[in-house]
Amino acid sequence: MESLRKVNVMMVNADIFVKDVPGQLVGSLEPISLVDGNIVGVVHNRDNIVNGRIGVNITFEVDSVEGLERLKNIWKSKDVMISRISSVIETFPMDYMLIGDIGPAQIEKLIKNAEKIIELESVDIRFSSNISEKKRTVMISAKVRAEEDLSRLNAFMTSACRKEGIVYIRGVGQ
Amino acid sequence: MRIVISGFGTVGQGFAEVLSLRSDLLNAGGGVRIVAVFDSKSYAVDENGLDPIMLIERKNATGSVGTEKLSSGIEVLDSVGYDVLVEVSPTNIENGGDGLKNIEHALRNGKDVITVNKGPLALKFKELNKLAEKNNAILRFEGSVGGAMPIINLCSENLKGEKITSIRGIFNGTCNFILSRMDGGLPFEQALKEAQQLGYAESDPTYDIEGIDTACKVVILANSVFRRNVRFSDVSITGITSVSEDAIALAADQNMVIRLIGEVSDTVLEVSPRLIPKGHPLSISGTLNTAKILTDLAGPITISGKGAGRKETASAILSDLIAIMDRRR
Repeated sequence: MESLRKVNVMMVNADIFVKDVPGQLVGSLEPISLVDGNIVGVVHNRDNIVNGRIGVNITFEVDSVEGLERLKNIWKSKDVMISRISSVIETFPMDYMLIGDIGPAQIEKLIKNAEKIIELESVDIRFSSNISEKKRTVMISAKVRAEEDLSRLNAFMTSACRKEGIVYIRGVGQ
Repeated sequence: MRIVISGFGTVGQGFAEVLSLRSDLLNAGGGVRIVAVFDSKSYAVDENGLDPIMLIERKNATGSVGTEKLSSGIEVLDSVGYDVLVEVSPTNIENGGDGLKNIEHALRNGKDVITVNKGPLALKFKELNKLAEKNNAILRFEGSVGGAMPIINLCSENLKGEKITSIRGIFNGTCNFILSRMDGGLPFEQALKEAQQLGYAESDPTYDIEGIDTACKVVILANSVFRRNVRFSDVSITGITSVSEDAIALAADQNMVIRLIGEVSDTVLEVSPRLIPKGHPLSISGTLNTAKILTDLAGPITISGKGAGRKETASAILSDLIAIMDRRR
């Protein structure tokens, strides 16, 4: 991985409503910094006014569930209404291309074996359209939850492909 | 500054040409002259200085740089007083060849050495540096990785205060040309033939397409930038011969290209084809070299330049020569 980003940083998306008076928007964003959060994006929705409050959609990163709970409490104390809040654990993507005499059953077995040792957040498999040759090409796009898991997945794929005599090309990460 | 040039192929001739082009600059530092030169068959010596252009003309006319028959490079080195050996003979990754012997001989005698010969550096980096240190000699090798792309001196001099965590790069223009042409739909064999016709690939392209050339450069970077003690045999190498048209097409479907990447860090030493998103600094096409250096303070730094060529590699040798002149002043 090229970035030095923290593992398991929580990405949060929230819909909040703030009073339609000057300074309220800034006042609702400041607490995110107070809990060491990092604002990724803010959409101020002037078309969405309910009971004199304006809807704001905020995306931010926060280190822990405790930090998020503290933020919610601060918002409540500042009279910021929380309409919806959802969090996603950051994932680390990697692409793998496999070239050789391989079919869907073999790929399925490979993924199952990988899942025995690494928790895969998602897996997407694409086969090349050329199926006439014995040499087929498969692209596997996987996402894992931690950088360490990515290293383990890389090691697993390298070893498994070497054992099967399959040519293996991986991506460069984020 | 008295120079001996060992090897007078493309790079040796390029360096001679650059010396004549930069005569004003070099004479200002007390004067630079070529006192001896040899290729695989012949040699020429003149304590008062050989004319670089005349040497190139003779090589082109006769196939030999000198008029005397060469028995050994070391004999030539012993026969003349000199300050710097510029070793630019062809790479030999089996045992370093005569290039290694010449470098060792010069360093043992306290002479400074500039080389672009990857074989000796990939096989005996630590030993050569120790030999240089022991004999108060300077060993510089900027042109050995990335040609005109100043990666070694950038990392070891300009980025001295940084903790470099990894270097990933395209270090072989021939492979990059072939893969770029395959992006356009050419099969591997045809792209290789085109590279050979254009002079980018040798008639025996094994060193390039099997990743051997890139692996040598990865070893040089690991030892010089990361202060590791690794050898060519430590590199995990996969070349580009197994990259099919099908693979290129599937990558393109996902908005990616395949490039031969050399990667070095404290724990990684690898040469392999990699999937690169289009628009990424490592997705460049053609014969260019590029490197992405990841540092702790400055973040990612990307450089690119011509990885090979007569004047391009000579420019790296010239920068090493000027650095030596500055230090010896």
